[in-house]
Amino acid sequence: MNTVAPVSKLASDIELAAATASLPAMTPQRLHKLAEATRPRRRPDPESQSIEPADWAGIWDGVLAGRSAAVRLARTALGQAGSGVASPAAVRLARQWNEAAGRSRERSHPPGVSILVRGLEGYPKALEEDREAPEVLFCQGEVFDPGRLAVAVIGTRTATYYGIEVARELGADLTLAGISVVSGLASGIDAAAHEGALTCFDAEGGSRGGVGRPVGVVGGGVDVVYPRATARMRSRVAEVGMLVSEAPLGAAPERWRFPLRNRIIAALTPVVVVVESRLAGGAMHTVEAASVRDNIEVMAVPGSIRSPASSGTNGLITCGAQMVTSASDVVCALERAGVAVPCFRASAATTARTAGASVPSAGVQLTTDEQSTLKAVDHSPTPTSAILARTGRPLEVVTLALDHLSEVGLVRDYGGAWGLMSAARS
Amino acid sequence: MIARAQSATLVGVDGRCVTVEVHVGSGIPGFTIVGLPDTACREARDRVRAAMLSSGLPWPQRRVTVNLAPTSVRKTGAGLDLPIAVGVLIAADEVDQAAADGCAFVGELGLDGSLRSVPGILSLVDAMVARTVIVPAACAAEASFVEKHRVLCARSLSELVEAMCGRGDWAVPIYPVDDLVDQLDLADMADVDGQHLGRRALEVAAAGGHHLLLSGPPGAGKTMLASRLPGLLPALGPEEALEVSRVHSAAGLSLPSGSLIRRPPYRAPHHSASMTSLIGGGSSAMRPGEISLATRGVLFLDELGEFPANVLEALRQPLEEGVVRVARARATVTFPAHFQLVGAMNPCPCGEGGPEGLCRCGDASRERYARRLSGPLLDRFDLRIFVSRPTAAELFSRERSEGTGAVAVRVARARGVARERGVRCNAELPSCSLDDFVPIDRSIRRILERRLNAGTLSARGLDRLRRVALTIADLDEDGGDVRPEHVTTALELRVGRDALTGRRVA
Repeated sequence: MNTVAPVSKLASDIELAAATASLPAMTPQRLHKLAEATRPRRRPDPESQSIEPADWAGIWDGVLAGRSAAVRLARTALGQAGSGVASPAAVRLARQWNEAAGRSRERSHPPGVSILVRGLEGYPKALEEDREAPEVLFCQGEVFDPGRLAVAVIGTRTATYYGIEVARELGADLTLAGISVVSGLASGIDAAAHEGALTCFDAEGGSRGGVGRPVGVVGGGVDVVYPRATARMRSRVAEVGMLVSEAPLGAAPERWRFPLRNRIIAALTPVVVVVESRLAGGAMHTVEAASVRDNIEVMAVPGSIRSPASSGTNGLITCGAQMVTSASDVVCALERAGVAVPCFRASAATTARTAGASVPSAGVQLTTDEQSTLKAVDHSPTPTSAILARTGRPLEVVTLALDHLSEVGLVRDYGGAWGLMSAARS
Repeated sequence: MIARAQSATLVGVDGRCVTVEVHVGSGIPGFTIVGLPDTACREARDRVRAAMLSSGLPWPQRRVTVNLAPTSVRKTGAGLDLPIAVGVLIAADEVDQAAADGCAFVGELGLDGSLRSVPGILSLVDAMVARTVIVPAACAAEASFVEKHRVLCARSLSELVEAMCGRGDWAVPIYPVDDLVDQLDLADMADVDGQHLGRRALEVAAAGGHHLLLSGPPGAGKTMLASRLPGLLPALGPEEALEVSRVHSAAGLSLPSGSLIRRPPYRAPHHSASMTSLIGGGSSAMRPGEISLATRGVLFLDELGEFPANVLEALRQPLEEGVVRVARARATVTFPAHFQLVGAMNPCPCGEGGPEGLCRCGDASRERYARRLSGPLLDRFDLRIFVSRPTAAELFSRERSEGTGAVAVRVARARGVARERGVRCNAELPSCSLDDFVPIDRSIRRILERRLNAGTLSARGLDRLRRVALTIADLDEDGGDVRPEHVTTALELRVGRDALTGRRVA
């Protein structure tokens, strides 16, 4: 086995790092341990703040050549007990790594996927210094570093209409302000935030200029679509922004990967906005990961005190989190953190709402039936049966009135239920 | 000597003429039946012999061969007992062949010689070409509904022989005791408190013959609403009554005493129903399924989401064509299936999904549940509403809801308007005639365009929506053409999948 040429001659550090991350039984924590053990000491040069890359070539050459120190290191990192270099387990390890090296050479550059290695070019600056930084990131889409101009918009998967609409609005307004919206591409709030962000790009991926590019941090491999319903959105995000994952290509979205994924979302951004969350859940994991790090502000969107979907976010506000009532609150938080936001201008709907506008669109004449119907509709989706009961008018009259009200943008049709649009009633 | 007796057998719900030929000749004493009898029919051998011996009639101690012609049709059931016995009696010279000519016989024999009723008498008698039919006394009333024959009856084999030989009289028909309380009289619309939307959808469904899907939490009153639909439907016409009665008779169900079935049937099979029980078929005799028993009436599928997916998908073709062709290796049978489908379901497994936001289901389980309702099946429901639980105020309201009688009057009037268009109800209007009856003016077009552009309405959905809007206009006291408010009402009574499965609401 010593006849193998040193892999370091054949493959780049990036390829070797990716191959290590893709080894069976490798986890982000083990990879981190392995990298830390081989990372050269920081350069004495006080100017350079950056982290040195781990000695990936050194690990591989050592393992494949059967050097005892390297094998011991690799096996400890992989959680295998024992240390004998000539033991069958060590031989198996070397063979395994050898095969992995061959595989990684074959597909070192899968189409559309780039590999970012901690300490090397392209790796997001925000993550570099993090104490649980992923050693290797797999990216789909054109690689860019949002830097500090990024906001995480996260929340529950079982969201209400309210949460979904707020997440969409925030996603769109923040993107227009040039801020990258970072989220986990789960269904519910995550998807709604990116849905909003994507409205700022046209179908060809072009944009109105100066907008923030979305970042999706996924749990499984970037090439593994999960959940299935978000398939189209994932490809759109990869088109105009990028998808990021520390899981190797083809990795299944296993349960344990999601809490780890959440720490990346938190560490990537200076501000984390929770739109809707129950007292326990994935969004709360992200909040926890954000709160143990310095310089990350957690903000929350308030909800009804009766809504179980807002119990977590209301709890955060009680504990001192800043409240988010529009994208401008988030922009203020970014500016407090010393991030200059290039071009913030709230959307018309938001302006109207925050100004407490009472009359929607000037020039709309409402009949008495339409006025009384409008009064019977709540901000949350109101079932048609409830509107009927409140107005006491025949179904024909009420539906015709609702149709006109939705045409002029005063109410929204949820199918069997109707909700008041933001600015419709003071 | 060869003797002949006319009879009929049941193929699906239709009768087929059968000629029973009996040959008594020399040879080792024995009794064989040929001509494709099924097991019940083959066993006639033992029943006929025992019945004749216990009636004091002589059994020929010679070789007896019975042929059932045409031999290619499978003969089912015990209805051929009587013609076989009559054939043997003629061959044994106990009865004159002349007395049996021009007569057809059907009936099952007991070992003591008594005559018992058989299922499907209506269809069997309908198929008989003979002028006179002779049936068991218990079926005589049903046989007379066909009104094409002279119906004679007897209670036992010996009574029949006496009557045929002119030594005795025919028996008096026995009318079955009607022990079924009419369930429809109990279910009145006045018992439904609140539920303005549900009551309205039910009225439109009754008037237009539209298929109706009710989704809502448990206890909202979906089953209560659905069970009131048959009471709103008009009584069956004479042809429909005969069609429905024939199917029920062929399935072996008892008919109301002394009449055909005059009310639209209401069938509500449990969700464990198999494909065969719902669609029809069976291994020996082809039996009509629940969809055929519900023909010209209502098929109510409670807990629609719990029915096996393949059973639900099998409903699609009969829903379109009004008949179901059940093909088996032995035979292909066409059953009528002109039913109105009413489905009820919970929005999600926990049942609490909906605008109130009380659902406790996980994402995956809710998705799985919603998927059971396939797009093509959902498309066939013209009326789809979400039924919320009535509020306390509605439940305790002193105001009495409108009763079935008042609503049925409006339904009957709307059906009358539909008949002038040449159809039984608006749901049967062909797409090509919609432009004549439901013209789209500018204001209606604006309403529809917004839905079509938003993707909440499809081209096929548009046609169905126009039929419903027409029904709503027919029910309108002012009469006249379809107006925008009729269209918006039709849209409100046809919500999308998301609203029915309580999706996107925590």
